[in-house]
Amino acid sequence: MLLDLSEEHKEHLAFLPQVDSAGKLSVSSDTVQHGVEGLIHLLTESSKLMISELDFQDSVFVLGFSEELNKLLLQLYLDNRKEIRTILSELAPDLPSYHSLEWRLDVQLASRSLRQQMKPSVTIKLHLNQNGDHNTQVLQTDPATLLHLVQQLEQALEEMKTNHCRRVVRNIK
Amino acid sequence: MELSEYVQKGFQMLADPGSFDSNAFTLLLRAAFQSLLDAQADEAVLDHPDLKHIDPVVLKHCHAAAATYILEAGKQRADKSTLSTYLEDCKFDSERIELFCTEYQNNKNSLEILLGSIGRSFPHITDVSWHLEYQIKTNQLDKMYRPAYLVTLNVENTDSRSHPEISFSCNMEQLQDLVGKLKDASKSLERATQL
Repeated sequence: MLLDLSEEHKEHLAFLPQVDSAGKLSVSSDTVQHGVEGLIHLLTESSKLMISELDFQDSVFVLGFSEELNKLLLQLYLDNRKEIRTILSELAPDLPSYHSLEWRLDVQLASRSLRQQMKPSVTIKLHLNQNGDHNTQVLQTDPATLLHLVQQLEQALEEMKTNHCRRVVRNIK
Repeated sequence: MELSEYVQKGFQMLADPGSFDSNAFTLLLRAAFQSLLDAQADEAVLDHPDLKHIDPVVLKHCHAAAATYILEAGKQRADKSTLSTYLEDCKFDSERIELFCTEYQNNKNSLEILLGSIGRSFPHITDVSWHLEYQIKTNQLDKMYRPAYLVTLNVENTDSRSHPEISFSCNMEQLQDLVGKLKDASKSLERATQL
């Protein structure tokens, strides 16, 4: 799959070969900015689509750069694509995601309304992440519900091992 | 148990066969328990025809006194001898003491459950639901091809009126971590109950 580079994009990138080996730039700041943006766009689109090496080379070929520059761009792409994809994945519609969990066992002995109690409970501190923010919730449950939660979530984990899920994972690639 | 003069006066009236015959006594006693324990009970609990002949002010006073005493006894986990002692002091005859104690014994569990449920605590998890999805792409990222879980915890607040949900996503490793930690908690619980 080839990248579809717009005319504007190609123009912006045309500036790249002009950067001499010392890294000195003798052009306007606008041109530099466009060049950088063009480069960013090239790399993010390539990473997003996860295009192959060959496709990347062919896409860049239309820009008419030197062999050396093409090689450099390819290396840049391969070296950074994993990280770029990680960053892009964080842009997805975001639900709070699980970070970690702390728990504590308690026994309530008395309260203002009732003395001489022996009420066991589990206090849970749930750490969640959302949009970079760290969020904690303190919750509580009783022993019976705790066992129920474990059972239900274990079933959830088991699902991935079923034939149905395995088939889907194998065939959608 | 510290009880006010109001309660004591109410009980003294309740003890008097002249004000409350056997039937009326039993009815009032049952009404007191019902008002406390029956969620659907309303003011009509004292509207029994066999209580009509009693002055409503007296009726209310005795009902309130009985209810107050029942709650205090429940809170302190009073035993039969504590109950009997107080009722004797209020001039209850042995038959009425016996009736009270029996009625109290019958309702003790419900009373304790009610009292135990009053109070503040953290939001209580009541259930969990999950769904498993296979992520293919987003508008930012193609070819994702990874499984993800969405877990929702059903939670009840102490006022029982709000039922918020806590939802979060996680991948397989994270869910394994979550389940592992919950299993540790339940194993600890098991060990603690064997001590």
